[in-house]
Amino acid sequence: MHITGTQLNYFFVCKRKLWLFANHIQCEQESDLVLQGKIMHENSYSYEKKEYEFEGIKVDWLDLNNKVIHEVKKSDKVEEAHLWQLKYYLYYFRKNNIGEFTGEINYPKLRKKEQVMLTDDDVVYIEKIIDEIEVVKNLPFAPKVEKPMKICKKCSYNDLCWV
Amino acid sequence: MYCILVYDVGEKRVGKMLKHFRQYLNWIQNSVFEGELTKGQFDEMMGVAKKLMKKEEDSIILFSMQSNKYLDKKIYGVDKSGLTSNFI
Amino acid sequence: MKRMYYIFTPGKLKRKENTVFYVPFKNVEPQDDENLQNEVLLSVDSDMAESLPTNKIVLPVQDIDSFYIMTEASFNTKFLDFCSANKIPIHFFNYYGFYSGTYYPKEYLLSGSLLVNQVKHYSSISKRLEIARKFIEGAAFNLSKNLKYYNTRNKDLQAQIDTMEGLAMDIPSATSIEQLMGIEGNIRKVYYTGFEEILGKEFELISRKYNPPSNPLNALISFSNMMVYTTVLSEIYRTQLNPTISFLHEPGDRRFSLALDIAEIFKPLFADRLIFKMINNRQIQTKDFESRLNGYYLKDTARKAFVQEYDEKLKTTIKHRKLQKEISYRRIIRLECYKLIKHLIGDTEYEPFKIWW
Repeated sequence: MHITGTQLNYFFVCKRKLWLFANHIQCEQESDLVLQGKIMHENSYSYEKKEYEFEGIKVDWLDLNNKVIHEVKKSDKVEEAHLWQLKYYLYYFRKNNIGEFTGEINYPKLRKKEQVMLTDDDVVYIEKIIDEIEVVKNLPFAPKVEKPMKICKKCSYNDLCWV
Repeated sequence: MYCILVYDVGEKRVGKMLKHFRQYLNWIQNSVFEGELTKGQFDEMMGVAKKLMKKEEDSIILFSMQSNKYLDKKIYGVDKSGLTSNFI
Repeated sequence: MKRMYYIFTPGKLKRKENTVFYVPFKNVEPQDDENLQNEVLLSVDSDMAESLPTNKIVLPVQDIDSFYIMTEASFNTKFLDFCSANKIPIHFFNYYGFYSGTYYPKEYLLSGSLLVNQVKHYSSISKRLEIARKFIEGAAFNLSKNLKYYNTRNKDLQAQIDTMEGLAMDIPSATSIEQLMGIEGNIRKVYYTGFEEILGKEFELISRKYNPPSNPLNALISFSNMMVYTTVLSEIYRTQLNPTISFLHEPGDRRFSLALDIAEIFKPLFADRLIFKMINNRQIQTKDFESRLNGYYLKDTARKAFVQEYDEKLKTTIKHRKLQKEISYRRIIRLECYKLIKHLIGDTEYEPFKIWW
């Protein structure tokens, strides 16, 4: 099975979330935080935005002239996940012969941006992660989290996990 | 959050604005709306409204509060309060 | 939080300009619904007529969780399509307050692995019993909690409470669904004998003045139970659970039987408590009932008053101990669905909701 960008993101955020999401147990639809994020994407940089979606690879904004993949994020929390999600897209574009791209993470609310490159070490790491994601997805049960983490509060799965 | 929204826009855009806001809030008077929205719904509504309006000419004003618990609302003349109710 | 919209005034619902328009029948063009219009206008209670909306009302589609159609209403498939697209279920009650059905839009949350697990928990008798027991256990707890509430308020219900708790002791050892259903039936029988004590003279009036086949209180109980059932169904719709695969009730018993299962737990809190309150406060009296060929029914105005209280009740908030935050009563139902999902996927054993305050 193919790995989506969201799954890769969740791998870094929370393995339990990854498992639930991959098994189509989703609470996202109704989460207002998710709606807020979606709206922010729609309203930021819309004049230059060209969305790209293929096999669960959903790029917020693709700059074909300069060969840059942009990711738009609401806050700079959980940075590692954002970073690897974008690197995974760069990796995916390379693997599928779409082209050699560079990345840029945009934080419109913070008026901040960050450049991202894909190194050879990154490729090795991403391939390792892909294997690990497959393992998590195929676990018979959702991985347990002992007690609520800080990020749980802002997660759409919070009520499902902790009730 | 609880919102009261008023707008004053060019004639050409009045109809468009009306149709747009009606999807989110209860119409209570000409160019006046009222209702409960989540932050996400609010962002969505205003995102579109900003695209519909002409920033140099039009104005949209929003009063918002945590909830309508402390909102004291009095109606003089014709009572159209049924318009914000979920009982019809 | 989106709201439930209740239609008590005969009229037409339609999709217009990407939202919902309600037009009272008075204003519908005569050629549209002539027969219906005449019939309905004649049947509207006179005291309702004053509050009839005279003009169209535009409902914000983004604010609509679900519709309750409590009167004659007309609409077309374009409207139903629009409700589907906006994930709005529609519950129908007829003129006498009898539930007639639900328009359950195409499901939008699907999980193959959960469905497989839901079926597995139905087809294995031990797994099915385990869940069914929990439903009865929760229901029994909440039923006796209701009596305990009044027992500390100058009513003597100790005998009923003791008997019910005695009966509930057999739940863990029940070895078949029939046996469980039997225990539940017996508990309810005892529970209902407590109504007389709680409702006092008003209930005596209601129960003795009118006798079989049915009585006004029964009419009120069935109506309120169907309100709970439909609310539960709306919440199930917002999860990946399949509403037709149930554990206590037999699946596919004409209704969305999982909603029947879960409603058992919530009827004492949402339906019965409201009945006690409204009758004791004289918000509902014997004069609010009318008899018809097939028994009694709650008059339009009283039904509306009941639904208004019900709607308020669902909005009441309470601090959830585990989640450490304020949640609405209605949300408790959704959380119950989540707990069931966690049980079905082998994550956390299901524990039924028990009134904790």
